[in-house]
Amino acid sequence: MGLLSILIFLPLVFGMFILLMPKALNHYFKYLTVGVSLVQLLIASWLYFNFKTGDGFTGVNQLAQYQWVEKLDWIRLDVGSFGTLQIDYLLGVDGFSIGLVWLSALVMLIASLSSWEIKSNLKGYFALFLLLDTAIIGVFCSLDLFLFYIFYELMLLPLYFLIGMWGGVRREYAAIKFFLYTLFGSIFMLLVIAGLYLSVTDPETGNHTFNLVHAMNPANYSAGSIFSALDNIQILGFSARAIGFIIVFIAFAIKVPVFPFHTWLPDAHVEAPTPISIILAGILLKVGGYGIIRIAYGIFPDIAISLSWWMGLLGVISIIYGAMNALAQTDLKRLIAYSSVSHMGFVLLGIASLTSEGINGAMMQMISHGFLSVMLFFIVGVIYNRVHDRDIYNFRGLANQMPVFTGFVMIAFFASLGLPGFSAFIAEAFSLIGAFSSQSLNGLLPRWMAVVAAIGILLGAGYFLWTLQRMFFGTLRLKKEEWKAQLVDLNFREKLVLFPLAALALVLGIMPSLVFNVMSSSINQFILLFK
Amino acid sequence: MIPLQHFLFVGATLFSLGLFAVITRKNAIQILMGIELMINASILNMAAFGKYDKVDNTGQIFGLFIIVLAAAAVAVALVIIMNLYKRAKSIDPNQTNTLRG
Amino acid sequence: MESIFTPYMLFNFALIAITAPFLAFIFSLIFKRFAAVIGIASIGLSFISSLILFIGVWKKPVLHFSFDWIQLANFKINLGFLLNDLTVIMLLLISFIALLVHIYSVEYMRKDDLKYRYFAYLSLFCFAMLGVVLADNLFLVYIFWELVGFASYLLIGFWFKKEKAVLANKKAFIMNRIGDVGFLIGLMILLTQFHTLDIDVLFGQGNLIASSFVKNDIWATPFGLMPAYWLSIAGFCFFAGAIAKSAQFPLHTWLPDAMEGPTAVSSLIHAATMVAAGVFLLLRIAPLFNQLVLTSMAAIGLFTAFMAASIAVTQTDIKKVLAFSTISQLGFMILAVGVQDNAAAIFHLVTHAFFKCLLFLAAGMVIHQLHHLKEKYQENFDDQSLEVMGGLRKLMPITFIVFVAASIALAGLPFTSGYLSKDAILVSVFEWADERGGIYWVFPLLVSITSWLTTFYIFRVVFKAFFGEFRLPQILGKTAEELKITDPNRWMTIPVIILALFCFALFFAYNPFNLESSWIYGSWNNHPHHTGMYPILVPIYINVLSFALIFMAYQAYAKNTFAFNNQASWYYKLSLNQWYFNSFYDVFLIKILMLKTKAFYWFDQKIIDGFIHLLSNIIIIISKITSWFDHYIIDGLVNGSAWLVSRLGIWLRGMHSGKLQHYFIWMLLIFLSFFIYKLII
Repeated sequence: MGLLSILIFLPLVFGMFILLMPKALNHYFKYLTVGVSLVQLLIASWLYFNFKTGDGFTGVNQLAQYQWVEKLDWIRLDVGSFGTLQIDYLLGVDGFSIGLVWLSALVMLIASLSSWEIKSNLKGYFALFLLLDTAIIGVFCSLDLFLFYIFYELMLLPLYFLIGMWGGVRREYAAIKFFLYTLFGSIFMLLVIAGLYLSVTDPETGNHTFNLVHAMNPANYSAGSIFSALDNIQILGFSARAIGFIIVFIAFAIKVPVFPFHTWLPDAHVEAPTPISIILAGILLKVGGYGIIRIAYGIFPDIAISLSWWMGLLGVISIIYGAMNALAQTDLKRLIAYSSVSHMGFVLLGIASLTSEGINGAMMQMISHGFLSVMLFFIVGVIYNRVHDRDIYNFRGLANQMPVFTGFVMIAFFASLGLPGFSAFIAEAFSLIGAFSSQSLNGLLPRWMAVVAAIGILLGAGYFLWTLQRMFFGTLRLKKEEWKAQLVDLNFREKLVLFPLAALALVLGIMPSLVFNVMSSSINQFILLFK
Repeated sequence: MIPLQHFLFVGATLFSLGLFAVITRKNAIQILMGIELMINASILNMAAFGKYDKVDNTGQIFGLFIIVLAAAAVAVALVIIMNLYKRAKSIDPNQTNTLRG
Repeated sequence: MESIFTPYMLFNFALIAITAPFLAFIFSLIFKRFAAVIGIASIGLSFISSLILFIGVWKKPVLHFSFDWIQLANFKINLGFLLNDLTVIMLLLISFIALLVHIYSVEYMRKDDLKYRYFAYLSLFCFAMLGVVLADNLFLVYIFWELVGFASYLLIGFWFKKEKAVLANKKAFIMNRIGDVGFLIGLMILLTQFHTLDIDVLFGQGNLIASSFVKNDIWATPFGLMPAYWLSIAGFCFFAGAIAKSAQFPLHTWLPDAMEGPTAVSSLIHAATMVAAGVFLLLRIAPLFNQLVLTSMAAIGLFTAFMAASIAVTQTDIKKVLAFSTISQLGFMILAVGVQDNAAAIFHLVTHAFFKCLLFLAAGMVIHQLHHLKEKYQENFDDQSLEVMGGLRKLMPITFIVFVAASIALAGLPFTSGYLSKDAILVSVFEWADERGGIYWVFPLLVSITSWLTTFYIFRVVFKAFFGEFRLPQILGKTAEELKITDPNRWMTIPVIILALFCFALFFAYNPFNLESSWIYGSWNNHPHHTGMYPILVPIYINVLSFALIFMAYQAYAKNTFAFNNQASWYYKLSLNQWYFNSFYDVFLIKILMLKTKAFYWFDQKIIDGFIHLLSNIIIIISKITSWFDHYIIDGLVNGSAWLVSRLGIWLRGMHSGKLQHYFIWMLLIFLSFFIYKLII
């Protein structure tokens, strides 16, 4: 039993434990959950700091260079003339996943700390929460497509109930929309995974395999198989690999979300309770970005290059479109939801550039947006928990009433709009630099894309500062008189959540190499796939 | 010599008369008599066709068999009719419908 | 000459100069009671370090210290200091003026509850500003550049309860962001073309820019090729950054609004240092610009200078006048960069910093004292309006003297620093136009008009505020004795007196009429071209008319012998309403942008989400149809055949009547039908 397995199944075990505990212990569930998340974060941190980098530890398409690999034969089924059905329990991390694993552990801890607001049916809530935790970590660790898919779908189930049962007014609508949207993408992905299984053979055993790493090597594709790069099989007149790439891309683009697959996000974010919004924005969106890199780009590099222009275009549209929509919002949570669309556009743009700067920037943006969006949603939660309202125009001059809170809001807003010194700046600048230099380095993205995307930074300043001015500055004016007593400044728990996040944004902004060093060798290896 | 057709005409007439009696009579005894007529018509035919088998005389032998069987059948039929009368106080077959499915 | 300081020592001093304010920022927030002391001590330390750096570096070889920061596959970004003449003169200027402003602020902010925040923000600003100056690569410059904007945001909105202040700081930050986007794009272009952003490597001795060339519409560098227009775009992008930071047309409207912040802040940030950062940036990367960019620069500088001066003439808010004056003077500097007289630009930057800072501080003293009256009597009047002032010459003599000293420097009268630096620009513009001829003569014409306007508006302020009668008692209906105001205490007067000394030419040149003798100008001006008739004629003809205008302003505003009664004319209204830029932006940019965002949201809700809903509705309708089909057709078939069989059975049952003779009849019929069938076949 390796560390990764412990990391994955620890929450599941405690989730079961919570189910078995009597209802009388309701109040201890949250402490237990926080404890589990904390242990998980400690393990993840240990992994992060012991993660080895360099030429021998690049990962990506080198199975031997992944770290903390666990491999068990899971399902071996003799299916006659088709050979043996081979599904492995295969875990491992490389530079792309380690940062996200750590981020997930952090976000889960923050989410569990913000679960104090949940008042009903605690047992169900925390059991589902821990199940979700297992699924999320599992997605980032699994190297077998079948296992990946299981964890990927496993995330949906608890989320559906967590939104649908503990959410806001239109929670059923939001939950079903979220569920169907995501399922729509992943169902078709299952076909592609099946196709890959039929195409890829394990060079050691000669069986067909779901192994994700083997699927990145063109030599492992059997001749004449559907996704073989050499044979270029056609389906309805289109290249099979192109169709495979597009299907997988759409599946993950829904998660990211990329324009025009983003409309589940504002609804789901707005209706979900605060901890679930935090998880959605902090990790779920990153699963999309991670999937695009690992599966869509990793397995279909040839198609990725030929469709790069379109990927870049979608990224740019998401950036501008998300920002424009955010400007039009009066609901603070919806505004932040749309800002996520805008910020995640940089991820796609950076990936599409296929330059080292761009991908580094994209990964940095995923991690940075991971905890900044967490901070932003937590901030909304602070207001919403106190007065159950989050319309921007119902508040004014909150800085007078809640000075410490306003300080954190300013940090979060300025960090998100890309003020230098915070992580988002490095991330966005590098994504843009990558996108801009792409034409000179590999001729994939035209220069105007980076130029247009840069306007997104300007719009970002627009909606955040406007919100700051409308809600927090000026003389105190609230919609209802009694709110004045309810809007007290932050308590200890809330400070405990916000302070490390703010510090993290600052530390990664000043020392981005903390992240870059871990990723860079994997990213260089990744770029070699496209040569 | 009387030609075969004559026998067959007589037989057919007898059979038709018997059939007519079976279908139209309101008395079970009369129906039984009709049946007897039809049996006799068939015996007549048997005997008439017997001329083509002069070696074994199967026609005549079958005629004899039928006479015996008909006698037995009449005995059984009369008993049935008597039982019917006991139950239904009538021997009109239209009065009973216990055979109905 | 060998320096007495080793490079290592100089590096440490540079480190002290920049880290001291940063530490002050943090400690001011922690030790709130000692914020002012910490602030002054740290900036004092920075000033001393800057002085040492100045001695160690001025007119000596460039020093460059660089350390790894971020390293990726094909490029890396370093952290480091670049110490050359431009750096150290800016360092000295910034730390010196910041020190004086810190001292001044002690008194100015004495009654504010949140003054620890004020000092913390001020230290943050100093840190960022010194960072801009010291940074050795453009990425780092960009970082500090934005931080400067952020500090300015915090300070403009320091009184966050004032609606106007928070509107102003938002506007300032967003307008600066527009420039920053340009800056960032410029960075991307340079990085792509040169694979480095190191200023020394790019623009220093034997630089990369010089090794690149444009041929056949292709801009070739040692690392790559681009179409030639990207060279101009790069120039315009950096220029856009400078336009925003230095409040040039069309991004100038944030600066007058920024006057909502405390006056000491306006003086340090929005007059002396931050706004000059744009000019500084242009000087740092001057070799990049091609003729097209330079000419546009000159045109924009000229237009801004003229426009802002024409607005300043009619403003009644004293700080607004000074703000437009700042914009106008920055226009002069940009113009100087545009006509490639970098020496004049940096010289004017330095002299302007002193006298404009002084003007603001002196105005701040007046405002401060009036504000006290306002609080004391709980009256409601505009303490920044020129209309309530007047006759302050006798009440506040020190303020009066320093204000006049700064005003004559701004007007560029003889014996002042402004005389040297402004005339340097004027002469260059004349010579530049002379070389080109034709339409370019618009430049000297407009620039002369602008400098006369400058003289007029500043003396209008002087005469309105300090001469005549004190108008406030009349307005409030009180006697002059009740409304007694005096010069403020020494915390304020000493810094302004020091600044006043620097308004005079002696500190910058031993011969106050000879530009070439100025040590700042001389050290940059490596091709002394001021030899024709312009250096002699231009100052004379500018100054003669200036004196006439001063006399006219004196008659109009101090003696009230005549009054301008053109309030209804279009040019008066144009000037008073600041050329309608704000209304124009509000209506044509903000409104349209907001409409666009609404349109986008509508699109998102109705089209994209509508499409999703349509899709789900279509699926629901299809499912209804299949459900109908299933119920009536598929199920109907099964049920129908069962029904048929049962009906048949019922019908057949009728044959079994139970009557013996019926059976016989059936038997007969069946036999008959069999025979008939056999007969037919």
